[in-house]
Amino acid sequence: MYRYDEFDEAFVAGRTAQFTDQINRRLSGELSEDQFRPLRLMNGLYLQLHAYMLRIAVPYGTLSSRQMRKLAHIARTYDRGYGHFTTRQNIQFNWPKLKDVPAILRELGSVEMHSIQTSGNCIRNTTTDQFAGAAADEIIDPRPVAEIIRQWSSLHPEFSYLPRKFKIAMTGSPNDRAAIRFHDIGLQAATNAAGDIGWEVWVGGGLGRTPMIGKLINSFVPNEHLLAYLESIMRVYNRYGRRDNKFKARIKILVHEEGLETIKGQVEAEFAEVRGGVLTLPQEEVDRITAYFAPPQFTPQPATKIDVAYQSIIDPAYGRWLDNNINSHREPGYASVTISLKPIGGAPGDATAQQMDDVADIAERYAFDELRVTHEQNLVLPHVAVADLRAVYDALLATGLAEGNTGLITDMICCPGLDFCALANARSIPIAQEISRTFAEPKRQAEIGDLKIKISGCINACGHHHVGHIGILGVEKKGGELYQITLGGDATQQAAVGKIIGPGFEAEKLPKAIETLVDTYIAKRESADETFIQAYRRLGEAPFKEALYGTA
Amino acid sequence: MALPKLAPAQPAHDKLRALGIIALNGMFDEMDALGVLRYAASDVLPGDLAIVSSFGADSAVLLHLVAQVDPSLPVYFLETGKHFTETLDYVEALKKHLGLINVQAIYPNQADVERFDPAGTLWETDPDSCCHIRKTEPLEPITEQFGGWVTGRKRFQTVERGVLPHFELTSDDRIKVNPLAYFSDADVNRYKIEHGLPEHPLFAKGYKSIGCAPCTSVVAEGEDPRAGRWRGLNKKECGIHFDFNGAIASPMTAPATRHTLWKNGGFIADPFHAWAEGDEPTGASYKHVPLPVFLANREAILANPHPLGLLVAPGDRIEDVEADLHRFASVAIQFPGFTDGRGYSTARLLSQRYQYANEIRAIGDVLQDQIPLMRRCGINAFVVTHEPTRQALIENRLPEVNIFYQPVGTAEIPVGTRPFLRRVS
Repeated sequence: MYRYDEFDEAFVAGRTAQFTDQINRRLSGELSEDQFRPLRLMNGLYLQLHAYMLRIAVPYGTLSSRQMRKLAHIARTYDRGYGHFTTRQNIQFNWPKLKDVPAILRELGSVEMHSIQTSGNCIRNTTTDQFAGAAADEIIDPRPVAEIIRQWSSLHPEFSYLPRKFKIAMTGSPNDRAAIRFHDIGLQAATNAAGDIGWEVWVGGGLGRTPMIGKLINSFVPNEHLLAYLESIMRVYNRYGRRDNKFKARIKILVHEEGLETIKGQVEAEFAEVRGGVLTLPQEEVDRITAYFAPPQFTPQPATKIDVAYQSIIDPAYGRWLDNNINSHREPGYASVTISLKPIGGAPGDATAQQMDDVADIAERYAFDELRVTHEQNLVLPHVAVADLRAVYDALLATGLAEGNTGLITDMICCPGLDFCALANARSIPIAQEISRTFAEPKRQAEIGDLKIKISGCINACGHHHVGHIGILGVEKKGGELYQITLGGDATQQAAVGKIIGPGFEAEKLPKAIETLVDTYIAKRESADETFIQAYRRLGEAPFKEALYGTA
Repeated sequence: MALPKLAPAQPAHDKLRALGIIALNGMFDEMDALGVLRYAASDVLPGDLAIVSSFGADSAVLLHLVAQVDPSLPVYFLETGKHFTETLDYVEALKKHLGLINVQAIYPNQADVERFDPAGTLWETDPDSCCHIRKTEPLEPITEQFGGWVTGRKRFQTVERGVLPHFELTSDDRIKVNPLAYFSDADVNRYKIEHGLPEHPLFAKGYKSIGCAPCTSVVAEGEDPRAGRWRGLNKKECGIHFDFNGAIASPMTAPATRHTLWKNGGFIADPFHAWAEGDEPTGASYKHVPLPVFLANREAILANPHPLGLLVAPGDRIEDVEADLHRFASVAIQFPGFTDGRGYSTARLLSQRYQYANEIRAIGDVLQDQIPLMRRCGINAFVVTHEPTRQALIENRLPEVNIFYQPVGTAEIPVGTRPFLRRVS
């Protein structure tokens, strides 16, 4: 993991002091709320329905046990005993007091954390594959470059007042687990003919009210020129991105309206000017940062084979967990474990202070002190010896985090919705909870298999509903809440935006509608191996539409 | 003893207003004195707020707050003709120390004084009437001009003031703002020390609350600070704080002009004037020519012998004038709203790509939080009107993180052997 040196520490301390001063000037009234808003947003502080919300950066989703314990401490001391992990691999606290924020930031600083640029119209936390540095299918570990991007983008003097927020995601694996095609910039590791490592650059993807799939703007940018290329894109966006309409200000609209070729021309012209300049990455700097991400000292493991079928008979819950929550590791004898934050009937992504402490203990004891946050709002222990899986499972079970449902229908992404958010039109957490209870039966979940449901309480799509195999969007209609269903979305390399299938449903009728869709899929699938999304692609929307609304 | 009058039925409008005041007080529970005064001056009563100060023992605190919020806020001083000379000296000393530029004296109506107090001894026989003609009456026409006024009253001062809120509604529908309502005696003293405020010359001599000379006496250690006012009489207020009515204000000094261009560590006179509609490209002098105007009149402007600058609006392309940049003594980059960040790109292109070495100034919505970023992008002059930003520049306390991860240009040097990404200013 990356470790702060004196420079990083001084930087974060300086930023904390600066933001503390800004808060004090707000409390003294020197700053109006209008003036304070962009300043507080740039440091992750929102004003929500009931209170301030503080969003803390978890750079590219990596946490140490010490950091996780600090988050638990903050939840306990300054909040209501829990935190909420987000789709940007961050964590947010929903009830801090403005006057406590400086103290919280100092606490975070003591464990090399901050809330810099977790909101506001600036470059946000770079997200990546939760299995980075562990996955068997990885070309290169994206974390060193993600850290370099974090440093380059922190308090950037030119790009702190962009037309709108800006999100970068990257993956070092051909199997995209970071939804890079739905980010302002998506980076996919690539190699050229000479075998050099570089990046495929995708631009203009995004969700929100105008979902767009990113477009390939450059198929190979050498690693050493990546920052120069990113700066070129940022400058074109900062100068020409729309500022007249907040809803058309993301780079996806600029790319869409101007056309990829025009934007590409501008970016390449800018790149020609800055390439080879101060942003050229020296290899020794890349190496220095990369050294922080060296794999842990794996010990050769005895050949351990777990008979999942046997375990499933003697302990079905453990069997399910083995089936669904384990990811293959590049190191023989090791595995990555997904810790589901989707207990049946729970609020997706929430963890209590006690759970955070317990997970920290487990990571320290069994997983080389490392944790990850996934964009699907779960946690990951990236490196666990296969021989320790049972012990890890038992420890998770004791703290209520052993749900074996990763990738299944109850593993939903869900935004905070009207229960917390000032933008929401409809509730989303209670909807997720109801669907979760509807499909609680493990056999039923196993029968359905891989199915991603994603729920947003408004058009801003924080719950990624556009890329859910089944997406649910809460809207306000005639004073009531109505839920629109989209089908066929996909956040992976087979990126697709879901299509609205028909009129929306009232909240109480929604679980039944989802059941109808699922039943239709099971009835029509070619075999149990054909997943929901595969069946949908083969069948189209017609049978699902007919099942929901009858024949026209 | 007069019976209290029955209050007439309140119109709905008044009730709303009264509720508004309650809400205001609720809002400001969490704010400090400066916040109350600033909000009053900027949001509740912009351009419609005045201060009445006695320039007494504790007045420096309120006036220091005023100077931070806006030194041009009108401050009225009741020149009753009965003040200690030390008080009159103190008025001048405080004005100078705090930089207040709009202190005005209010005098009693001379006809009233001659009629009711020909011997100048009314304070002895009827202090209420003395206060009335010297304070209450002269103040009335002033208060009529303003929607509200600020007082330095504090809860601790008298029992009657024990429930004093931050905002009050007077019977003539004006708002009284009491930023110091929650200040204790100790708070006042601490504030004076922390900010190095000059003391009233009589304070050291035992005067803890200072009004007109005849009605003010020394208070003993441990005695109520206001005990020295109207000593021996059942009188605690002069009258202006019940309600008011009364005469003539005459400015003691003309408001001073202030420079708004910050450059090379100070506010200096700006040789440039704003470009105005109808200005002639051929004859203009010391003006920032808008970039589109320059493009449309390039030959004429290049032939113009006078010093000129260039005005770059957010949508303008600086590359269109690259070849002619040397013509301009100054480039003004417009920041129409501080969330519009296009000017930062313009500044970097100008200073780094085109190596433009003359003045690059930021104009528009320039706030202290933006200035460090602007500097890093190459901006070296700032037109600043926002008062707290001006203060921050003068006191050299910009909120800044002065170590940087990313290189942006040539002016920043690597620190030791640290990696390329890191620079310090």
